[in-house]
Amino acid sequence: MTTQALDRPAPRKPIDWWRWAGRVFLTFLLIFTVLPMVWMVLTSIKSQFAALQYPPQWWPAEPTLQNYWRLLDPSNSVGQEFLRYFWNSFYVSLLTTVIGVVVAVPAAYAFSRFRFPGRTFLFFTVLLRNMFPAVVFLMPLFLLMRWLGLVNTHGSLILTYLTFGLPLSIWLLKGFYDNIPIQLEQAARIDGATRFQAFLYIVMPLSTPGIIATSIFSFIGAWNEYVYAYTFLSKQDSMTLPVGIQRFFTEFATDWPGLMAATFMMSVPVVVLFLVLQKYFVRALTEGAVKS
Amino acid sequence: MAEVVLKDVVKNYGAMFAVNNVSFTVADGEFVALVGPSGCGKTTTLNLIAGLIPMSGGDIHIGDRLVNDLDPKDRDIAMVFQNYALYPNKTVFNNLAFPLQMRKLPRAEIDKKVQSAAKVLDITHLLERKPRELSGGQQQRVALGRALVRDPRAFLMDEPLSNLDAKLRVQMRSELKRFHQDLHATVVYVTHDQLEAVTMADKMAVMNGGFLQQYDTPANVFANPINTFVASFVGSPAMSLIPLEVASNGTQTVLQSSEGWELPLSPINARKALAASTKKVVLGARHSTLKLAKSAVPGSVPGKVYTVEPTGDITFAQVFISGAVVNISLEPSVAIRPDEMVFVEFDQERIHLFDGETTMALTL
Repeated sequence: MTTQALDRPAPRKPIDWWRWAGRVFLTFLLIFTVLPMVWMVLTSIKSQFAALQYPPQWWPAEPTLQNYWRLLDPSNSVGQEFLRYFWNSFYVSLLTTVIGVVVAVPAAYAFSRFRFPGRTFLFFTVLLRNMFPAVVFLMPLFLLMRWLGLVNTHGSLILTYLTFGLPLSIWLLKGFYDNIPIQLEQAARIDGATRFQAFLYIVMPLSTPGIIATSIFSFIGAWNEYVYAYTFLSKQDSMTLPVGIQRFFTEFATDWPGLMAATFMMSVPVVVLFLVLQKYFVRALTEGAVKS
Repeated sequence: MAEVVLKDVVKNYGAMFAVNNVSFTVADGEFVALVGPSGCGKTTTLNLIAGLIPMSGGDIHIGDRLVNDLDPKDRDIAMVFQNYALYPNKTVFNNLAFPLQMRKLPRAEIDKKVQSAAKVLDITHLLERKPRELSGGQQQRVALGRALVRDPRAFLMDEPLSNLDAKLRVQMRSELKRFHQDLHATVVYVTHDQLEAVTMADKMAVMNGGFLQQYDTPANVFANPINTFVASFVGSPAMSLIPLEVASNGTQTVLQSSEGWELPLSPINARKALAASTKKVVLGARHSTLKLAKSAVPGSVPGKVYTVEPTGDITFAQVFISGAVVNISLEPSVAIRPDEMVFVEFDQERIHLFDGETTMALTL
């Protein structure tokens, strides 16, 4: 039998054109997304003069980190501004994330485990916000914030980002809790845990990937948001990074290398966060989506 | 260990009664099986005893305590789940230790108890593994160990063997029985498999539609089923039931078939049959009490062979009698073929008669 198997000529695999088409498409997509980033990094280490040269320097002749030093140096005004925006963005995003998790975890758990009147209705009203583009809510929310006296505060942004981020977080986490067998909690309760302890010791550790994934979602959402931050904040020292960076466009002399350095630094926390936590992220998205 | 007493326990969801006025007592050290088809309320009853769902009415005592309003954690019970419900993120050791940690036992004592439970169940070498690294049988032992480690007042088991393959199930069945004998534990055991109940339990509670049908030793349930449901549920193959009508042919009381034949009844059976609320009577007989003949003998009734199933030492024949399928066990040497006309003899001492309207067994 073994010899027969060896003697038989290896079957020629037909070329799978779909597979190759897929590869070509993915390569194109990769170039499409990576090229601007590469150009951003390259420009950020050029001097102002080199950045505006035509034809462009494909590779910077005299690479310099000076733009970065300037942004990170708290002793000059540019550095002060940049660090302030950075801190504002970080503060807003972090609070959005923390509050989002604190609200979404119990909400999702309740939707998953309890049967109460209006459950389905409430669950779908959570999604109502996502039916409309974010801009539609710009004016109503602005009026609401003014009425609440929150214009020009970070509170207005955190509230707004929560209304956008929470629906997704709740849906994602609910899928997660649905996949955790209810018998685990029942076992814990029989083993001597209260309902809350069963949640804390058994359910929470199992849903960590989901919680991490939703955290990344809300953090990135808040970190990147521009339109609302631009509308709600007019005082310079409360601005977040996306709005602040826009200030680097001065009307006559646009500082391209400085802008690119700032943009690059802005993308660092998101990329780091994603790289460190991506394994949870993938697990969360697949586990939440596929019911066993 | 302690006794478990259910009194008029009710659980309803609106108009749907999942458990309806169920009362029974599990004596200290007794192994009681709750059996019934799916949706009969047996798992709900178990969850009510555990306190995992609130009762709509009635009382449950565990030992000397009324536990109606106690949380599961305060009822001092242990439970083994159908899917084992092992904590997937904890090692086997921590799975076993969890009930003790929750009760704030000192570490040294936890260690000792876990080790001894692991030894009893022969899982000492698995203590550092995670549940997903274990086979089904090993997971089953760990689940049992988590119940065992704490010396609870009662063990509740929800179909603990149904996820195992057939061979392992039989093996674990005898281990569970042995475990009960050694520990003199009070066990309430839910299963849909009447064979498990008959082989393991001291008493079995047969449930259907939320009602407790019969609560007795397996032998008594088998010998004297209280109604047609219990008769057709307990036993493998089940008792055959033939709907007939009681009549008199002048000298004798007989059961009459719509096919025209008559089966004369013995004096005792005649008195039972006449006690029925209407003329409709259901005749019940277990496969082993029936005799098959190729030609008519006095007291036999005609039937037509439907299928013949040889199993090795016994051959089962299914015979159509008066529209009902009747199981008969035969010597393997008996040669019959499907669609053959045969005659079936009933043993008057061992037939069962049920009221055709109320489905209850007819007794004197």
